Amino acid sequence: QEFQFGPCRVEGVVLQELWEAFWAMKDIVQAKDNITNVRLLRKEVLQNVSNAESCYLIRALLKFYLNTVFKNYQDKAADFRVRKSFSTLANNFVVIVSKLQPSQENEMFSVSDSARRRFLLFQRAFKQLDIEAAQTKAFGEVDILLTWMEKFYQL
Amino acid sequence: AVPCVSGGLPKPTNITFFSINMRNILQWSPPEGLQEAELTYTVQYFIRYGQKKWLNKSECRNINRTCCDLSVETSDYEHQYYAKVKAIWETNCSKWAETGRFYPFLETQIGPPEVALSTDEKSISIVLTAPEKWKRNPEESSISMQQIYSNLKYNVSVYNAKSNRTWSQCVTNRTLVLSWLEPDTLYCVRVETFVPGPPRLAQPSEKQCVRTQKDQTSALK
Repeated sequence: QEFQFGPCRVEGVVLQELWEAFWAMKDIVQAKDNITNVRLLRKEVLQNVSNAESCYLIRALLKFYLNTVFKNYQDKAADFRVRKSFSTLANNFVVIVSKLQPSQENEMFSVSDSARRRFLLFQRAFKQLDIEAAQTKAFGEVDILLTWMEKFYQL
Repeated sequence: AVPCVSGGLPKPTNITFFSINMRNILQWSPPEGLQEAELTYTVQYFIRYGQKKWLNKSECRNINRTCCDLSVETSDYEHQYYAKVKAIWETNCSKWAETGRFYPFLETQIGPPEVALSTDEKSISIVLTAPEKWKRNPEESSISMQQIYSNLKYNVSVYNAKSNRTWSQCVTNRTLVLSWLEPDTLYCVRVETFVPGPPRLAQPSEKQCVRTQKDQTSALK
């Protein structure tokens, strides 16, 4: 069982555990998101991502989730009594990010730049919202993120 | 439509999507305490998560039943949706009761496969066919749920009627042969489809039984 984001290989992460962790929180978190006319992980962000781009994009997204979304969600997770599921999800994201080593070579600039533009689409939409609403919305869209990640997962 | 006093009635309850093979039915229960009343209901759906509009479902305006087929409106299964319903009684109506975010790709149940069995002395051959995705009309070309879920698997349960024992195996291929079976023995097979990912309800196939043939060598003695 491993992820293969283009050249980046990530072993030792059981995707089923991430699904089960998020599913335990999905209804609670998504019910808090009242801005239903905005989707952060739009099709333009995740559709037709090449293998080569995928490592750059997943790294940028997961780092953002860890540093901007999850970091301020710890207390809420306790309030919602989903702390264990929240920790499972966050810790697995930490493991994945730690194992992603995208190439820094010059020839990869156009690929990394394309991935960066996709990430910026997501980040700009995030920044247009109030921070708390944006965090709740981003958290509620982890099912969209996991659905995309599953395409790079091999049992 | 005659305007009604909103909030004059309690909201419908248990509003949810029942989805199998991408056939997506909105269903709900009458408001608390009004199970016997002659109510009607009106449904709206949110064109999709990330866009702005609530739309009327004309076929589900002032209906008596407590369900509404929104398969067409939610057919792009990679998007997410909301729906809502309100109860109406004379000039009174309830506030809207709204579903959670509905994601067909992750939430639809995968129906049971078709199971074909053939047997000889000591083995049973099983051929499985994944269910078809719901389609708007019969003329539409069929899409197998296997095409949508490339990681779809089958959970095959086999019951030996003589030993009264059951064993299961998870397979990816749609054909498998059960070998080293006992001759002249009744075996019953039931199969469930399974897709890794979020937890989903599963519907097993009907139990099908077949008897292995008599042992030819003992028949010759």
